[in-house]
Amino acid sequence: MVDTWQLVVFWALFAMMGVSALRVVTSSNVVHAALYLVVTLMGAAALYVLLLAEFVAWVQVLVYVGAIIVLMLFGLMLTRAPIGKGMFDNDQRLVAAVTAGALFGVTTWIIVDAFEGQKITLSKATGIRAESIGDVIFSSFVLPFEVISMLLLAALIGAVVIARRD
Amino acid sequence: MDFVAPKIALSGIAPEIALAATALLVLLADAFIGDRPRTLRPEHGSARPGSGILGNRWHLPLLSLIGFGAAVYLALDAWDRVDATGATTQFSGMIAVDGFSVFVKITLAVFGALTILLGHEYLVRRDLEEGEFFALVLFSVAGMMLMASSADLIVTFLALETFSIALYVLVGYQRSRLDGQEAAMKYFLLGAFSSTFFLLGIALVFGATGSTNLYGEGGITSFLATTPAADLSLLVLGAGLLIVGLGFKVAAVPFHMWTPDAYQGAPSPVTGFMAAGSKLAGFAALLRLLDVVLFPLRWDWRPLVIGIAVVTMIVGSILAVVQDDIKRMLAYSSIAHAGFVFTAVIATNDRGISGALFYLATYGLTIVGAFAIVAVLGGPEERRTRVNDFRGLFAAHPLLAGILTLLMLSLAGVPITSGFVAKLVVFGAAVEAGYTWVVVVGAIASAIAAFFYLRILVVMYMVDAEVAEEPKAVMGPLSIGVIGLSAAATLVLGLFWSPLIELAEKATFFAGP
Repeated sequence: MVDTWQLVVFWALFAMMGVSALRVVTSSNVVHAALYLVVTLMGAAALYVLLLAEFVAWVQVLVYVGAIIVLMLFGLMLTRAPIGKGMFDNDQRLVAAVTAGALFGVTTWIIVDAFEGQKITLSKATGIRAESIGDVIFSSFVLPFEVISMLLLAALIGAVVIARRD
Repeated sequence: MDFVAPKIALSGIAPEIALAATALLVLLADAFIGDRPRTLRPEHGSARPGSGILGNRWHLPLLSLIGFGAAVYLALDAWDRVDATGATTQFSGMIAVDGFSVFVKITLAVFGALTILLGHEYLVRRDLEEGEFFALVLFSVAGMMLMASSADLIVTFLALETFSIALYVLVGYQRSRLDGQEAAMKYFLLGAFSSTFFLLGIALVFGATGSTNLYGEGGITSFLATTPAADLSLLVLGAGLLIVGLGFKVAAVPFHMWTPDAYQGAPSPVTGFMAAGSKLAGFAALLRLLDVVLFPLRWDWRPLVIGIAVVTMIVGSILAVVQDDIKRMLAYSSIAHAGFVFTAVIATNDRGISGALFYLATYGLTIVGAFAIVAVLGGPEERRTRVNDFRGLFAAHPLLAGILTLLMLSLAGVPITSGFVAKLVVFGAAVEAGYTWVVVVGAIASAIAAFFYLRILVVMYMVDAEVAEEPKAVMGPLSIGVIGLSAAATLVLGLFWSPLIELAEKATFFAGP
């Protein structure tokens, strides 16, 4: 049984994400498009919270909103790409629309086909809490966790080597 | 759920820890001890003549070598332990401590140490910073070692990324060279592409078996033991994608596109390291995955791997013939050698595994020496690497020409060199498993390959009037030492191969479920 307020929040998020996703592709200003993308991705994070997946929600915020969008904005700023109204439409609208539509269709079909209409009631027991993920990371997956730190350090040194001025 | 602290035993990854710690120490020492090359001699474009090759910066290579020595010691220690108590897994089944991983780790440490020695001289002569170079080599060897003893696909992926990222940077280390930057970029893009294949393979294997763990409770091995073979198509598909990801790292056709460019653009010591180390690490993961964990599925993956082996041997050998640049030619030859090792993988017997280990160890020792010779003859920006630049090498440097002859004959697989014994072992394993026709293809490929090794030799000994510029070797004691060591190993292992083969045979025991 789905609570009414859950449905209300879901449709509110749906409207917000739909509008901002449309503005991402229709806005003629790159920076505006990137900011609309932030709204869309935040909406996705809110959906994850609604599904009791708090950890995924925070990862969504940190990685997509925090890192990738910031990276895009930095990229725009540093490469002197035309910020502001402009010349960044490359006449690939039809191809883009077909690709996005196909991806949407395939994903929807896979999800509908996989779950075959079964309903999953959400409760505290079925939600994946950050606590249990933390437990796993620091017990059975402690070695991968440590190896990632070595990997990031190697990448950091590599970035310094490549970017250093002579 | 209460938090259960995991049991942590460090003996399995002690060599990796030693190398990572050494890398940090090298970076610290680089920052605080001695002068940076540019402050040392700002007025010189290249190294000062007459100054000892070690300069006042001997501490960094020495520290790195001590790190590799410690790694070998710790690996031998782990060997003693598994010899007494049998192979185990550590870190909740993430790390396999077995003879196989120890053998690979010791071999990798030797390759790393040789790279440090060559790299030191190479960098000092070109006024390049050393600290980061050594740190990246240490990190990448640590990643390769982890790959050899990983018992979980997630760890395998992280280890793969660790050594790959370090190698992407090392390929473009000499930033004044445009072809080096191009090579690094190509290697990076294609490497990232192949990593996604590997990752998707892990996802599919997880989807099929419910685990990424190879040996543990509920892991892939026990899944295969308990599940009837009926519905494994998802697992086979995942395994296929894993083979694609690892095939890229060992430079197997059709995932070899990056090899010639990366080998040519990289500084030669790095090229030798890539050819020796990255191949060994990739094949270590492949051998553990295919010949041990997925052994029950061998009838499913074998056709694919046979196809890769045959195409790799033929394409590598044929394309090498038409190369004009010796580094590109050795790159294609390394592709062909990957194909020869694949014939040992498809044998799926103990002889195949020990043969592959022997092959990769001897090939690595030979190829490091060959690229060391290319490095000392190439000049500051390695422009003199065309086959014709070796014209008249015998007249200018008879001993160097003699050693290069030995190394080339070993790569071609001529008797009394280690390359001959290695080919004999892997082909023998494949014949034993009943794949004689693959061996016949391998023999044909070797015959084609002999052509281009001989081409270098002919050019080298040819004395004619048209030599535009005599080959000039710029060598210090470190290069001479590494080249001599490589030649000695090639010859000695070609004559007295049995100790190393016996060691490899002793090493073919794996951690079990």
